[in-house]
Amino acid sequence: MPGDCLPEDLQVLWKEMSMSPLTFSPPQLRAELEKLNEGKRRKSIVFLAAMGTLIVSFASFFFLFPNTLARTGSVLSVFGLVYWLVQIRMSRARPISEMGDSNCIQFYRAELERRRDLSRGFPLWSRILLAMPPWIVFNLGFAQLYPNLAPIMWFDCGTIVAVIAFIVPMGLRQARMYQRRIDLLDASQSRS
Amino acid sequence: MTISDVGKIEPQDAARSGQDEAYRQAAGEYGTALERLAHAYEADPDRRRDLLQEIHLALWRSFEKFDSRCSLRTWIYRVAHNVATSHVIRQSRWKRNTAAYLTLEEAEAQASRENVEVSAGRQQTLTRLLALIQQLDLLDRQVILAYLEDLDAESIGEITGLSTASVWTRVHRIKNLLVRQFHTGVRNAR
Repeated sequence: MPGDCLPEDLQVLWKEMSMSPLTFSPPQLRAELEKLNEGKRRKSIVFLAAMGTLIVSFASFFFLFPNTLARTGSVLSVFGLVYWLVQIRMSRARPISEMGDSNCIQFYRAELERRRDLSRGFPLWSRILLAMPPWIVFNLGFAQLYPNLAPIMWFDCGTIVAVIAFIVPMGLRQARMYQRRIDLLDASQSRS
Repeated sequence: MTISDVGKIEPQDAARSGQDEAYRQAAGEYGTALERLAHAYEADPDRRRDLLQEIHLALWRSFEKFDSRCSLRTWIYRVAHNVATSHVIRQSRWKRNTAAYLTLEEAEAQASRENVEVSAGRQQTLTRLLALIQQLDLLDRQVILAYLEDLDAESIGEITGLSTASVWTRVHRIKNLLVRQFHTGVRNAR
């Protein structure tokens, strides 16, 4: 670059680093990809099985417990869990094969915005409001049906409230952190 | 493969071998640059190896999509920087704030405060250079890394998304910062 004042040595020095790089052959990478995909498949099977069990359980509670609150809670819980599943599937990161299509600023900004939006606003509140309160409603119905088990249900409700009280500030804090980085990126772009 | 097998090659296999070949060429030509890039993003050796593998994997997969709309070099650096950016965001997810990175202003202020000691060897100078680069925010890091790899302002702009003039300004500022930090050490190492 014309007008350089950085000592040429620094670039030479930089290039002296790691002259024998790690190499990967396509079969090695293919095997690694297969391993990664297998891990992802296993994780998503476990996750889907857990969500499926919950959905089937809440759906069956509708028929098992003849109480309006319990039935309302179970129906809303099923909707909430299905919504969660859809939201998780839709919020996936950009496919790796498309990484070269975006320049660094576009990619960085998109990634920060995606993460920020997941941690605040509609995605955060919809996840919480659609999945947690219906569970509380169900517990209240269950406690009405079986007063002797009510203390367990109160404990369960308390746990849910505690989880909400933990998740919301944590999500909002994460969102603020991502927003600060977006602001820094904007400021840095406008300065130069 | 025998001559009679040639007719049996599926389009999928042909695409795959094209992808493999493109990757081999890219890794051969830019392997060392990618290794240096990984050093600038990750200080921990184990995590750096993982990052490097992630970059190579992404690069290999990206050749499914490469359609020569930009130069091969631009494509490779974009993929590598974007994978590294994801890595940095993931790693810093649990950090409380952005204090881990310095803006250029902060780095400049720190440089003028510090009494830069004379460095005895090139390795020490390199270590300091890396440490400073690892502290820069991502955009500045991307600009200076591309500069250190001998890319011109236009190419750096194509990779980062900055205008040529912005690249020019940034390179100038980062260079001045580096000169202040290193010129004494480098001169002594000669």
